[in-house]
Amino acid sequence: MTEEKLAISVDDLTVAYDYKPVLWDIDLEVPEGVLMAIVGPNGAGKSTLIKSILGIIKPIAGSVSIFGKPYKNQRKLVAYVPQKGSVDWDFPTTAADVVLMGTYGSLGWIRRPGQKEKKAALEALEKVGMLPFKNRQISQLSGGQQQRVFLARALVQDASIYFMDEPFQGVDATTEIAIINILKELRKAGKTLVVVHHDLQTVPEYFDWVTFLNVKKIATGPIKEVFNDDNLTKTYGINYKVAVNK
Amino acid sequence: MSSAQLDIQLIAAVVAAACAIPGVFLVLRKMALISDAISHSILPGIVIGFFITQDLNSPILILLAAVTGIVTVVLVEIIQKTGLVKEDTAIGLVFPTLFSVGVILIAKNASDIHLDIDAVLLGELAFAPFDRLLIAGRDMGPKSLWVMGTILVVTVTLMVLFFKELKVSTFDAGLSAALGFSPVVLHYGLMSVSSITIVGAFDAVGAILVVALMIAPAATAYLLTTDLKKMLILSVLLGVFSAIAGYWLAHLLDASISGSMTTVLGIVFLMVYLFAPDKGLLSVLYRQKQQRTEVSLITFLLHLNNHSELSERHLNHLQEHINWQEVQSKTVVELALKNNMITIEDQIVSLTEKGRNFTGLALEYIMTNRDDKIEHVKDDFFLFRG
Repeated sequence: MTEEKLAISVDDLTVAYDYKPVLWDIDLEVPEGVLMAIVGPNGAGKSTLIKSILGIIKPIAGSVSIFGKPYKNQRKLVAYVPQKGSVDWDFPTTAADVVLMGTYGSLGWIRRPGQKEKKAALEALEKVGMLPFKNRQISQLSGGQQQRVFLARALVQDASIYFMDEPFQGVDATTEIAIINILKELRKAGKTLVVVHHDLQTVPEYFDWVTFLNVKKIATGPIKEVFNDDNLTKTYGINYKVAVNK
Repeated sequence: MSSAQLDIQLIAAVVAAACAIPGVFLVLRKMALISDAISHSILPGIVIGFFITQDLNSPILILLAAVTGIVTVVLVEIIQKTGLVKEDTAIGLVFPTLFSVGVILIAKNASDIHLDIDAVLLGELAFAPFDRLLIAGRDMGPKSLWVMGTILVVTVTLMVLFFKELKVSTFDAGLSAALGFSPVVLHYGLMSVSSITIVGAFDAVGAILVVALMIAPAATAYLLTTDLKKMLILSVLLGVFSAIAGYWLAHLLDASISGSMTTVLGIVFLMVYLFAPDKGLLSVLYRQKQQRTEVSLITFLLHLNNHSELSERHLNHLQEHINWQEVQSKTVVELALKNNMITIEDQIVSLTEKGRNFTGLALEYIMTNRDDKIEHVKDDFFLFRG
């Protein structure tokens, strides 16, 4: 695979909290245009992997490149959806305003969002079916609605790569389907998506690429090649049987 | 009103406005206690600065003391990072230690230094007008007004310039970092502004009351609005109002100015806490009562919907059956009657067409729990209020 076709390339990445390795010598290559799940047990370092790719956590070793360049030169190509629980939903702001935050990156320091950004924010809200709630204070939204607002915030960034940390956590079935449809649409448009995912049952249905992670990288590749009992057992440490080809 | 009185009110208002702005971000970041820590631990900085400059309003003293404020924040973070104690404990360890160093420094040098502990804790607003700024022999007004005025202008400018960055890093530090707005830089920027503001305000209102000026207006505004910009404006207005009202309360009672200002801040918060339109205690209690009645109404209607036999729909029987007290069932029956949802003939209750429709809607919502259904029912429920 040539360097140009790789959306994300992680080399020898090691991250430690208080001298305890959370990620150990991770090598990972994600080709452009895949919809990839990162799976692994609790404490496997799934969120940490995303956060260290995005420079939110400093690794103790290794490097990351986005389309061949360091992340800090490629910020505008990348959108990030953190875990819903990572923010205070009582913050005094509205759904539209949270989505508008997605435009801040392209504006840079000091410059303020104008009409163009506000219009883009409303369009993104429309895409996730949240336009009627644009002026709603964010604590007045249901869990699924909050997750849609987060997704709209990533959409407004109009990025090439989307990182999402458990976008299906605590959402209702309707929202889950709405979100996965949007993710599939993004992939069709040539975007690359990296999603931390918990529900192993839905992996083959939702994704076309998967990475198994448990402190070390166990396997990565197309679902058909690597989503098997052997890798599941290696990752989760117990005999795991998931019917892959149902 | 004498010019000294006017000066005091002006200084108090400027101090209140300057404190309210960083206070909003501290409250939203759940860092209110940090302002308490900074306001105490800057004391050694102020004392040492005073040894050097011999002037409480000197910019060098203010910067030196503000550095002590930043040191406090760093020390708290270092202790917290060891993982041995939690943040509140770390704060409780750092600031009394630094404060007591300041207290000892004052006590050891009591004869050379024009600072006493009372002034440190409560401020000396009443004397502030007498320390004048003289430029080429001309009286330019009270020095502390110039100092706090400058701090206020700088704070407002920074807040306007970096409003978007402060907002995103306060709401979602992870996204802020990913977008390239370093939360660490913004955190220390905010801590620096807070420290400088606290040092500037310290002379006027003292170590304890400056905390009230930072936290109380923000906490009050938080109950009144769901918009960050409005919260900032409201905080400033509430702070300025309390400062001026506090001055006149002190005048009336012949009591401490800073003490009266804080009392007013406390009273204003209490009033808003009780009477705020959405988040106030009374409005919350009223809403809960409404919701209980609505749930009772639905229970009652569902029961009627489920039973066609007359015995189940007899007024007295209903009371026994649903196991409600007389008053409650009477309220519910009256509410249902008033809204034309039921008719009563010979003590037998029947659903009307409207009642049946509403019950169907409520059932659908309960079964599907769909958001769009909630919206619809919420609007309908509103019709039944009052």
